[in-house]
Amino acid sequence: MKLDPSFIWTAFVQILSVIPTTLLITAVSVVCGLVIGTAAALIRTFRVPVLSEVAAAYVIFIRGTPMITHLLLIYFGLSLGVDALSKQFGWAFRSSSIPMIAFAFIAFSITAGAYASEVIRSGLLAVNRGQLEAAHSIGMTTGQALRRIVVPQAFAASLPNVSNLVVGILHASSLAFTVSVVEVTAKAQIVASTNWKFFDAYLAAALIYWGLTLLIERASALVEKRINIYYRGGVA
Amino acid sequence: MIQLKGITKSFGRQQVLKGIGLTVEKGEVVVILGPSGSGKTTLLRCINYLEKPGGGEIRIGDCRVDCRAASKKDIRELRKRTAMVFQQYNLFRHKTALENVMEGLVVVQKVPKEEARARSVQLLEKVGLGAKLDAYPSQLSGGQQQRVGIARALALNPEVILFDEPTSALDPELVGEVLAVIRKIAKEGITMIIVTHEMGFAQDVANHVIFMDEGVVVEEGRPNEIFTSPKEERTKQFLKRFTPEGVYSI
Repeated sequence: MKLDPSFIWTAFVQILSVIPTTLLITAVSVVCGLVIGTAAALIRTFRVPVLSEVAAAYVIFIRGTPMITHLLLIYFGLSLGVDALSKQFGWAFRSSSIPMIAFAFIAFSITAGAYASEVIRSGLLAVNRGQLEAAHSIGMTTGQALRRIVVPQAFAASLPNVSNLVVGILHASSLAFTVSVVEVTAKAQIVASTNWKFFDAYLAAALIYWGLTLLIERASALVEKRINIYYRGGVA
Repeated sequence: MIQLKGITKSFGRQQVLKGIGLTVEKGEVVVILGPSGSGKTTLLRCINYLEKPGGGEIRIGDCRVDCRAASKKDIRELRKRTAMVFQQYNLFRHKTALENVMEGLVVVQKVPKEEARARSVQLLEKVGLGAKLDAYPSQLSGGQQQRVGIARALALNPEVILFDEPTSALDPELVGEVLAVIRKIAKEGITMIIVTHEMGFAQDVANHVIFMDEGVVVEEGRPNEIFTSPKEERTKQFLKRFTPEGVYSI
């Protein structure tokens, strides 16, 4: 086997141009996932009737199936559904006009939501019940208590796991190439398709993923330090 | 005035409060004594609905709540008229001492921020923590945290402050500073209901003492009556364990 450093460099530079796509998929999925996950976690923690069973089923199904399956199900299912609806109501809209990246956004948000819900739930469990009682005792409504007292502390407690989730989604965003979104992995494949030096191209992609991961870990450490300024407990 | 009538509470099959009646006049300091498991903390927590009573009636000032038909609004009204000091302090961990005291003023009572800050600073100075305004709970000793807890309760200007064993989690060296603060505010005529195991303090600060056991009020009266000449056998038995210092025999 012979490596071609100059081609690795060429591939590296070319792949750089699609980093925004990879980061966009990651960011949208994580942000939507955290919103879905926080809602699901609150619903389950406070045992809201009916909804808590729905939330539990969602988490169990999504965590029990591979992410690529979610993407394919959304890609084909949503297309079929949209087209059927359009036909029914006589709309001009066709599934073919949905941008490919939208399928990735939807599918990965659903995936991230299930994982995030467990992350946030563990954070909520880490907040002492006394915090909620104290908030109630000074006259806050449960909504105010959650917003101002419980959820901020739960987020702080789940921060290390959230950063884990971000890294996981960043790596998994490579699956978007299956629905022809040109992100880092797809770009590597395209770059190599002219000279068949796939190994070199994927090596460049790996370096890029690694670099992005280091940046995320660094950023999360900074945020953790800032948010947990009040936290002097634990073993650290 | 605070009036409780026939308050009951069960946890599963176990009935912990068997119809408690209680009247507290404005400015009175009531101390509730009793062995562990007698229901005194539960009673206190029923008054601001941290526990939902099974039945009875709670009246605080102009707010009267039938415990069988309490609405969310009723519960909020009760909580607006009460404040609680917890055994485990329960300060908001992500907020500084000052923010802890301000929180209820700003969020619940909608006091403008500047005014809330000024009042909170004043209260923290009163409990001797003027130098710790920006400290987080984790940077304070237990005694200091509990004093912030007392300032947080005072800030709301409630009709009654409920103290749930305020010194039980403290090491003995720190009990004194907290009791001193409670004594100080008792003298200002703030209505208080205190659950405690500090007998000397109880005798000293109370206008009225209630002795509870197994979910009922066994005996109540003025502190010197209860402490020096209790009528009920159960009260005598309980108080015997707290012989004054120096007369322990082993």
